[in-house]
Amino acid sequence: MLNNIIIDGLSFALPLLIIAIGGIYSERSGITNLALEGLLGFGAFCGGLFMAFLSSSFTAAQVPVYLSLIVAALGGALYASLFAVLCVVFKANQVISGVVINILSVALTGFLTRQINQNFFNQPSDKFQIGVFPRVSVPFLKDIPVLGGFFSNFYVFEVIILLLLAITWYLLYKTRFGMHLRACGDNPQSVDAAGIEVNQVRFKAVLISGALSGIGGMCFAYSISANFSPTVYMGAGFLAIAALIFGNWRIMPTFVACLIFGFARSAGNEIGKAMKLSSSFFDLTMTLPYVLTLLLLIFFSDTNKAPRALGEIYDKGKR
Amino acid sequence: MTEEYDYIIEFKNITKKFPGVIANNDVSLSIRQGEIFALLGENGAGKSTLMSILFGMYEPDQGEIWLRGEKVKINSPNQATELSIGMVHQHFKLVENFTITENIVLGIEPQKSVLGLPIVDIKGTDQKIKDLSHKYGLDVNPTDLIEDINVSTRQRVEILKMLYREAEILIFDEPTAMLTPQEIEFLLEIIKNLQADGKTIILISHKLDEIKQVADRCAVLRHGELIDILDVKTTSTQTMANLMVGKQISLSLDKEKNDPGKTVLEVDNLVIENELGIEIVHDVSFVIRTGEIFSLAGVSGNGQMEIADAIAGLIPVKSGKIKFEQTEITDFSVRDRTELGISYIPEDRQRFGLILEMPLSTNLALKSYYKEPFSRNHILQDRVFLDYSDQLINKFDIRSGQGSATIVRSMSGGNQQKAIIAREIDLDSKLLIFVQPTRGLDIGAIQAVRERMIAERDKGKAILLVSLELDEIMSCSDRIGVIYNGKLQRVSDADLISREEIGEAMMGVANNEQ
Repeated sequence: MLNNIIIDGLSFALPLLIIAIGGIYSERSGITNLALEGLLGFGAFCGGLFMAFLSSSFTAAQVPVYLSLIVAALGGALYASLFAVLCVVFKANQVISGVVINILSVALTGFLTRQINQNFFNQPSDKFQIGVFPRVSVPFLKDIPVLGGFFSNFYVFEVIILLLLAITWYLLYKTRFGMHLRACGDNPQSVDAAGIEVNQVRFKAVLISGALSGIGGMCFAYSISANFSPTVYMGAGFLAIAALIFGNWRIMPTFVACLIFGFARSAGNEIGKAMKLSSSFFDLTMTLPYVLTLLLLIFFSDTNKAPRALGEIYDKGKR
Repeated sequence: MTEEYDYIIEFKNITKKFPGVIANNDVSLSIRQGEIFALLGENGAGKSTLMSILFGMYEPDQGEIWLRGEKVKINSPNQATELSIGMVHQHFKLVENFTITENIVLGIEPQKSVLGLPIVDIKGTDQKIKDLSHKYGLDVNPTDLIEDINVSTRQRVEILKMLYREAEILIFDEPTAMLTPQEIEFLLEIIKNLQADGKTIILISHKLDEIKQVADRCAVLRHGELIDILDVKTTSTQTMANLMVGKQISLSLDKEKNDPGKTVLEVDNLVIENELGIEIVHDVSFVIRTGEIFSLAGVSGNGQMEIADAIAGLIPVKSGKIKFEQTEITDFSVRDRTELGISYIPEDRQRFGLILEMPLSTNLALKSYYKEPFSRNHILQDRVFLDYSDQLINKFDIRSGQGSATIVRSMSGGNQQKAIIAREIDLDSKLLIFVQPTRGLDIGAIQAVRERMIAERDKGKAILLVSLELDEIMSCSDRIGVIYNGKLQRVSDADLISREEIGEAMMGVANNEQ
């Protein structure tokens, strides 16, 4: 049972983490990103569509599942460019833009999935079959008592996410781009005075945010149901926002927050199973991560330090 | 540096218009290599605009800029930086959660390669910044975060930013507006060091003493026009003041001996803690009587602002009593105190004194809007607001673009302050608290505020003045309390204490006579 909690916890926590990391890019650059939910959905939709087309012409064994992550990233970035145009180029209100992007994503992907299934695959369905993502275990390490769960039966994408986490740390804290990005979230005027284009930096940050959310969405599609369907919109984007806020917009604390959410969820799941609850009560234990969100919000809101210029529209002319 | 040119910078017939205003009208002036050149003028005289043109932030409508004997066109601050021009803006442009070094290198970060990956080299630059800082006596710690350092150090970071970019022409826009007297001395010393190192310095200011102290030459601007260029050594501050304002102006205040009456405010053994639970005011007691100005002198951050805030009811006290005309008001709400008769003119007028996005009429009624006749049966009476506001505008000579309807943000600092003072004085309170009432104002406005304060005293009001400017304390007060480290060092009649004695008490030198 403990192994199950760990395995399921990680397979939820890490996709959540990569979405939260996407949010960090955007928010540290000063753009409030409530659009994560929409971005992850659209990314997963693109990845799912790609897999559906490939599997209709190849046999399952030949289909490159890893490629679907790249397609999802591109899809997420593409959709994020719409968000970036709204709130960076046209300087629209970031909260409203984010909400619009979310609503549009749910409606658009739902509509397109049905239409494409109808017209290309001749089946009335709101799902794309995307196949199975490989799981592996590390020999020997997996047999360690208790901790073995961290090394057994995990999705390969979990490793990829950890890799992206390392790259993010390097990019944000060690490179010029990262310095500029963080400076934009604190005092865009100073960035402008240093001869750096604030809007360019922010646009890139939002695109990266979309790409990472897309990957996260695709991972969720694999881990939840092996298909793309509207169930991918289960609130992970919002949970990711909560995680990055508890994590104080910093990478490692956000990682910890995601792990807490992941394990709370898998533990809730296991408890439900152990108590042999009926499915209607099962839903109740599944609310555990969200109840936890509320509690953490109460305790941590005081110590939180948001980027100073978060949500601030930068207008060059205004001094 | 060997090229032939008489002047390092020449402005030739610069004209710059903004909608409705001519900011610079046909201004021509030339600045020599290595001099400290001051631009003197009241707020809105066009000093900052002229410098913004030099720094590439505005394009002039007419006229040319020549640099080192060549005509140049400066289109952006980046280009100005390339031409080795640097500027310290009035509002600093610093990233708060970055270190000093990170701020200085922002935009031109040095890189090194680790495992083939480019990495911004901050650690390696810290020493370089430290050396640069020592060379000019700037004294900063490169690894400190901006959010942890004070205004004066932040300003030094801005100076280092220019020096790191190897600027030769340094523009300072009102650099002393936010500094304490000690910090001002320190800054002027730095400016002289920079000059000694061969830098050319342009100092925008309306403070005559500073200009007199450091500048070689001084251009006086008024309403966008160049009035005169003066040799500072041979010109009196009185002449400079007259040229700046455009009329004979008195630099001293006419003040008659006061005639204090009964006690209005009594502060007994006041102790105040800050948010962190640290005691910042220890056991302070004083009284203020009708018809007197009692001032608290001290270096910034010694507890004087907290005392004023506590009397106004903005922060709680730990122990001690505040009595207003025999009534203990220690636990009274702000509104109760206002209604008893306490008026408060806060230090930060834009944050605590006004609602910048609202019209003047609303701002003038901020302390009475809930009462008759402003509010009848819980409905605000627009007409009454406007009438009242028009009346105050006339009475206190508040100038603004559209009268009562003017959005306060668009008004000049001096008129914003006049609005606050008008509102507070018109409450007809018995006690007026003025905190830094002339901060950032130009000379005419300063004079007006001080005269108003003394006029209120003569009407029998009790006045508490908290100021960081020793000049202000010396010229306005009847009694002076000097505060150091949260303790009242000494209290004395204004004519029984010298400037030097106050200065010593401000620095914590103990005093045996009381």
